[in-house]
Amino acid sequence: MEIKHKHLSVENKIEELPALTAMLEQLADEWDLNPGLAMNLNLVIEEAITNVVFYAYDDKLPHLIDIDFELDGNELVIVISDDGTPFDPTKKTDPDISLSVDDRQVGGLGIFLIRKIMDKVSYRRENKKNILTLVKTL
Amino acid sequence: MDIKNEKVGDFVVVRIDGRIDTTNYTEFEKIIAEVIDGGEKNLVLDCKNLNYISSSGLRVFLITQKRLMGAGGKLHLCTMQPSIKEIFDISGFSTIFKIYDSEAEALSN
Repeated sequence: MEIKHKHLSVENKIEELPALTAMLEQLADEWDLNPGLAMNLNLVIEEAITNVVFYAYDDKLPHLIDIDFELDGNELVIVISDDGTPFDPTKKTDPDISLSVDDRQVGGLGIFLIRKIMDKVSYRRENKKNILTLVKTL
Repeated sequence: MDIKNEKVGDFVVVRIDGRIDTTNYTEFEKIIAEVIDGGEKNLVLDCKNLNYISSSGLRVFLITQKRLMGAGGKLHLCTMQPSIKEIFDISGFSTIFKIYDSEAEALSN
């Protein structure tokens, strides 16, 4: 079966998210991904991009964040790379989701959702870039 | 995102239409805060037309739950789409919110 590829890039600002959503909808359409999966991928990518936009840069300059998709049979691989400060999301502690409302911390769910939705999440630092690889078996 | 409020008995029903994400969660948070600041303690969030939520939106749900519980009020969610319910399940939110299948149930509990 043919391996499919798609490359997207967005600038490091939150205002880019609606355009990103539109691009992901188009990709889901082209690759015939089911709506539930498409929504979850949108969520995972929003969480990853939001983290980069909010925390990776302190220079106030525009930066491009690259998102590469590869679909090989039933394996979907998404690689997100940015040239921000080193940050390994796989090192972040999961929130305790068994706590009561009073004790539950507000926040910290973004990376947790990425890890729960995707089957494999790995990070590497290469050529001064953060490279986050997300794998989902369809 | 489009939000409409309606007073029904002891509750204010907040009907959410569309997406709650990082671009608009502050707007959602503001609308909810205005309802509570107006003296309402019992809210139903009608999620029938909520078709996307990210951690930013989940955060507002949690803050609202904390606030209403602290005030002795109620926060009931209803008619949630399966894909959104899945995100609530993953986040551990299904156990800290009361989620009803119908608006009638949400209003009568």
